[in-house]
Amino acid sequence: MKKFVSMPVAVGLLLAAALAFFLGALFVDQAAEDMARSIEERRGIVQAMALSEVVSRIESQDTDVEGRLATAVKYWGRLETGGIRVIRLSGARLLASSMPGDGTIPRRLKMDEKYLFDLGQRLRIARETNRDEGIARKKEIELEHMPDNRLSVSAPYLVDGAVRGYVQLNLPQHKPARLASRGPAILGAALVIGVFFVLALALGRYGIFRPDGRGLSRGQLALAAGVLLLGLWIFAVTQLSALADHRWRLEEGLAEHFMLVREASRDISQSFALKTAPITDNRWDVDEYRRPLHINDGHGHLRLKGLDGVQAALFKEMRRSFDGVGLLALALLLFSGAGWAGRLKHTLVENREAYLYVSPAIIGMLILVFFPFLYGIVLSFTDATIYNTGAPLKELWIGFTNYVNILADIHVFARTGQGWVVNYQNFYWTLYITVAWTVVNVSIGVSVGLLLALILNTKGLKLRAVYRVLLILPWAIPNYITALIWRGMFHKQFGVINQVIQMCGGEPVAWFDGVFSSFITGIATNGWLSFPFMMVMCLGGLQSISQEMYEAARLDGAGRWHQFRYITLPSLKPVLVPAIIISVVWTFNMFNIIFLVSGGEPAGSNEILITQAYKIAFEQYRYGYAAAYSTIIFVILLAYGIFQIKMTKATEANI
Amino acid sequence: MESLPRNKGIVLKLWICLLAGLALPCQVTAQTVLVVWHSYRGQEKVAFEKVVENFNRANALRKISVTTLAVPYDAYADKITAAIPRGKGPDVFIFAQDRLGGWIEAANTVEPLDFYLDDAVKQRFLKSTTDAMTYHGSIYGLPLNFKTLALIYNKALIKTPPKTSGELVKLAKKFTQPQAGRFGLAYWYSNWYYHAALMNAFGGRAFDPGPEPVLDNPENIKSLIYLLKWCNTDKIMPADPSTALVTTLFNTQKTPMVFNGPWFLGEIDAHIKYGVAVLPTIDEIGGKPMRPWITVEGVYIALPSRHKEESFAFATYITSVEAAKIMATIGRQLPANKAVYALPEIAGDPVLSAFRKQLDTAVPMPNFAEMTMMWSPASTAMNKIVKGAASPEEAMREAQRAVVESVRGLRKSQ
Repeated sequence: MKKFVSMPVAVGLLLAAALAFFLGALFVDQAAEDMARSIEERRGIVQAMALSEVVSRIESQDTDVEGRLATAVKYWGRLETGGIRVIRLSGARLLASSMPGDGTIPRRLKMDEKYLFDLGQRLRIARETNRDEGIARKKEIELEHMPDNRLSVSAPYLVDGAVRGYVQLNLPQHKPARLASRGPAILGAALVIGVFFVLALALGRYGIFRPDGRGLSRGQLALAAGVLLLGLWIFAVTQLSALADHRWRLEEGLAEHFMLVREASRDISQSFALKTAPITDNRWDVDEYRRPLHINDGHGHLRLKGLDGVQAALFKEMRRSFDGVGLLALALLLFSGAGWAGRLKHTLVENREAYLYVSPAIIGMLILVFFPFLYGIVLSFTDATIYNTGAPLKELWIGFTNYVNILADIHVFARTGQGWVVNYQNFYWTLYITVAWTVVNVSIGVSVGLLLALILNTKGLKLRAVYRVLLILPWAIPNYITALIWRGMFHKQFGVINQVIQMCGGEPVAWFDGVFSSFITGIATNGWLSFPFMMVMCLGGLQSISQEMYEAARLDGAGRWHQFRYITLPSLKPVLVPAIIISVVWTFNMFNIIFLVSGGEPAGSNEILITQAYKIAFEQYRYGYAAAYSTIIFVILLAYGIFQIKMTKATEANI
Repeated sequence: MESLPRNKGIVLKLWICLLAGLALPCQVTAQTVLVVWHSYRGQEKVAFEKVVENFNRANALRKISVTTLAVPYDAYADKITAAIPRGKGPDVFIFAQDRLGGWIEAANTVEPLDFYLDDAVKQRFLKSTTDAMTYHGSIYGLPLNFKTLALIYNKALIKTPPKTSGELVKLAKKFTQPQAGRFGLAYWYSNWYYHAALMNAFGGRAFDPGPEPVLDNPENIKSLIYLLKWCNTDKIMPADPSTALVTTLFNTQKTPMVFNGPWFLGEIDAHIKYGVAVLPTIDEIGGKPMRPWITVEGVYIALPSRHKEESFAFATYITSVEAAKIMATIGRQLPANKAVYALPEIAGDPVLSAFRKQLDTAVPMPNFAEMTMMWSPASTAMNKIVKGAASPEEAMREAQRAVVESVRGLRKSQ
């Protein structure tokens, strides 16, 4: 068989199919479970909403509230409830309860029941916040899955539009019927593998897609991928239709339950002669933000339109999951089928000693560098803000929206009444400033550093060591301190620079008020900080140039410029190029100087990308957006790095 | 590879070191140890540690003890934001109210205290300090002390401090000589926090209703026009003010009056005799008082704390009269506990009682999470306005637009 079937491909397919169908079945199970859970939750919400409506009517009638509530709670117990609490926030009163262990009622909440009170406050704040902001941001109904397989639903009751308290129900949960997805998955995986073997054998016998000497075959790889994807697709389609049927049954059950709740609510209202609003639409079947779902009409019938909407959302999500699974499986197949797995195994075995030595470093890097880095990238695809840090990232997923918002906004210039103005918050303006900042700084650093190095390298210079120490000093002082000193020097009234200008008869300059002058402050500070590094590098390079070359050049009649141009510069290249590469990256992300000296003044026009990302994250609290910003910075630097490495290789080849 | 066994030994040792570092030592004590974070230094720290010591002594029998950790101020807020929601933080922490909204919205940071608060505890505080601890109608911290602007004047240059804006301008004009660098009044008026005293006097505000930003409302603009009158018409203030400038002018006796807060007192040269008085009323709006913002430092209980009731006992103790007296006399704080000001030591202190009086007209600085987004656009606008680069209407409209945009970026429907 080895002659006809490529073993790496076969092994890869085996693993890939097992993984794909296992994950596929897992996702389908998960979806079915989520669906059942959401139906259970809605069952609870319907009850809680109906009950809270009754409670708020009893409260607003204001006659024998506690007695009536006790009766209502007892009557409500005919429905399937594990226990009910009614809590009024003012005075932290437990008005009614059918939960075991709650003792005599009514009473004030006890010290260890603080969580019940806080829950009510949360519901009140959620209601008020959503009303004030006009959006649904905070959950107005709280659900909690208890460890004893009960579902706790808490919904506020409102009197005169204000939250006065809440009702809490502890419902026993039904075990939903399982969706049979394991069988089809195993069958699917087996079929895929079987079909592949049959086809590979058959084709191999006729000399098509035969493995080569190392047992590899591109044709068989493609064949395996095709069979796998087809199998997975058929599996997905059948399972999705099963899911749809499943939902239909669950929704029908919920509609029935709704009618029971409606009856109970009507009975209580009638017995206390409460004012009731007729049920024209289903106002109890709502989501956690108390927005109606429009799936059943409140008379026991399902609404196809509403149901379709929910179904479509589920299908979209499932399709995305299956796409992911397909990609993952393909990657695994390719990894093994193209022989990469074999090579990896080989090198691992061959160099196990070396891998053992570097493994602590690898683990450290994984935890300290790659994990935060990947987390940042994942975060950039969400709209995480301070308001939703608790929510799982999956719920906040918004795809490339952040990137589109950053990159597609090309309105750098806007026309206003006063003519054209620059939108300083725009990404491209900030990018322009960043690039200008980097280029100017590195040019200054290199030219000043080189010049000073040349001077210091003069033969017979007295006190060279002293000069050298003095010139390295700016580098030795922490750059925070330097930045703060320079900021002080640029002060309009007391700064030494303006004092000098005034001594010479000039007008003091408000350095941080103009876009250009503010830019200059940063350049001056960073120039001061960056030349020592370049100087040291150049000096080292200069000292390694052999004097004989200059002597030879002088004999040939070369002048000073020619000596510099054709001997000094080329000899410095191996030193200068790496130094410039590092210094570009440093300067590009030189957070301290911008942040401490000009602070991006005026009006954020002098921010560079990294300070802008900081402001978005820690002044505007838009973590996802800031993460996208940072990722873009990374991509820019990555592109620059790759370009530079290629460049360096080219220069190395010339030397 | 002849030396293989030895190499293996080294690798093994490396691994052991790594794992030993990861394993944390566990200890079990019957004692409840509360960890408290603060950022006090100098005398404030001395006073605070004394209060903590008293608490520990009084609660030795209940087996509660408090240990404190002074966190450097720069890193403090971020440390709280990062550590507490993950359960790695203190039981109790002390911070000003400005970040409160953000921490509540971020969830799992600050414990609401309504349930613990009985009327006796609630009544012990000055009303506006509890307001500062309130977010969406719930109280999240016990107010410890407050800071607010007041009029600080040089007693050698001014006999009686002005009570109205008319008196202020008259007095200031007499003193002002721009050529000699002398100005009748100096304060950091281009800073929005300092300007808020005038803004609130005119009925201006940052948010209305609830957390909706309204930077460009007409009252804010009127207050800015009024500020420009002091700058440009009366010419009683220096151009381009900053904290450093204000301090220098006051210390070189080139200005007799500054609007500043208690933090300024430490910067005044020892030889200058100063007095503190309430900010003047504004004649042009019918003698309404200037209303500076107050910032209130509160004691908060971390939500993941496992000793909440003990923590609350501690918070109650450090806001009691007994503790507040120490914090006021040694730490020179302005306690939020109102009974303290009746004590003879405090009532007889002209500085503390003047700030206390200023509190009656002061308003709590908003503690909405959206507030942090306001500083940058508002400072830009203030700078433009005082430099004449834009009219108050234009600048504030621009600032409002920027704030609304960032608020919209933050709030999203689920």
